[in-house]
Amino acid sequence: MHDQVYQPEADTFLLLRAALREVRPTDRVLEVGTGSGRIAAAVLETGARVVGTDINPYAVLAARSCGVETVRTDLAAGFAGPFDLVVFNPPYLPTVPEDRFDDWLEYALDGGPDGRRVIERFVRDLDRVLAPYGRLLLLVSSLTDLDAVRELLGSYGFIAIVVDQEGCEGETLYVLRAMRDLCRVTSGD
Amino acid sequence: MRRDLLDILCCPVCKGGLVLTVVEENDEEILEGSLLCEACGASYPICAGIPNLLPPGIE
Repeated sequence: MHDQVYQPEADTFLLLRAALREVRPTDRVLEVGTGSGRIAAAVLETGARVVGTDINPYAVLAARSCGVETVRTDLAAGFAGPFDLVVFNPPYLPTVPEDRFDDWLEYALDGGPDGRRVIERFVRDLDRVLAPYGRLLLLVSSLTDLDAVRELLGSYGFIAIVVDQEGCEGETLYVLRAMRDLCRVTSGD
Repeated sequence: MRRDLLDILCCPVCKGGLVLTVVEENDEEILEGSLLCEACGASYPICAGIPNLLPPGIE
């Protein structure tokens, strides 16, 4: 695989496991930031309709070579939806400017000063592409502050629970499953 | 891209609907062509089967 594409790691495999438990064959699935396409390709085998996005030109080629239909776009920007399931392993590492190395892999890793910069941009746009009863699976690290991510999702009207977790080299990786908080949706709002 | 993907795509800038122009396709999908935004007029290429829906001018 091209050296500018994020290689599947522990976070990839944790999210993959959760995705295979979650997906239904009738789902239309969006994988945001599909990278190597490893997760999208496995989900495709369940019979679901899957499309992957990436901003990285090498990643969309890599995912396509695994049989995944791909679109080069920023997060979900080029999609109207609706999707039944959205899967995202975001760039979540907190970074300072001197850490950054300005290449395509950085897009796959760099979460800004608090690790949540890309997650916030994504969540802001999620309502637009998610079906009314759609589900999100989001990989979050303890480095990114799980509670802060749940609060962020809550502030945009989503309720999230942890469905899987795993310790990994000094951090804990979590899979959050989020849906619209339908109890808080009121008519006329 | 497969033809029915068009139903769920939109302009990444203004979220307008897209009009497909096909230059080359096979039995499964569109290989070369373009997507034109009906609302803002931006045009997005499809190259080697992959639509590029980055805002025009960004590479």
